[in-house]
Amino acid sequence: MLRAEDVKIYIAQGLSCDYLEVNGDDGQHFEAIVVSKDFIGKNIVQQHQMVYKALGERMKDEIHALSMKTYTPDSWSKK
Amino acid sequence: MDVQETIKNQVTANPVVLYMKGSPKFPQCGFSGMAVQILQACGVKDLVSVDVLADPAIRDGIKHYANWPTIPQLYIKGEFVGGADIMRDLYEKGDLQKMLAEIGV
Repeated sequence: MLRAEDVKIYIAQGLSCDYLEVNGDDGQHFEAIVVSKDFIGKNIVQQHQMVYKALGERMKDEIHALSMKTYTPDSWSKK
Repeated sequence: MDVQETIKNQVTANPVVLYMKGSPKFPQCGFSGMAVQILQACGVKDLVSVDVLADPAIRDGIKHYANWPTIPQLYIKGEFVGGADIMRDLYEKGDLQKMLAEIGV
């Protein structure tokens, strides 16, 4: 079964993150908080697309749903 | 007709289109159900929805159309707006209501 820790590793491999948190224990549904400098200048759709891209093919079969909140380091520090 | 063309026609022929699992009355997934509830809370009546479970070609095609791997997907005036998370964020900020009001929905 896919663990939140695995999803976290997959995201971290494809995207440089300042902060990354993944939760979820049913193997299919996960929740993530992703903070990355790479999000600067990107809109929210593009930011989520970058996380999906890091997960690649895994989004098609292994992961049913990934609920996420994305932040730039700046917007994260103001949160 | 090519499936990408079919999708393009669907999203441009209607001001608001939701690609979802199931129907607004009987959503087959919690995220699709939440998307419907948000649009209803915004006052959208006669929501145009496409049940991706009823058409495997659309289900696969829509993921490529907006380079977005998950369902639901919301389109306003032919533009991809986002999935369930983004819809909720926009709704909580009041932006989704504004976007819909601008097009008179």
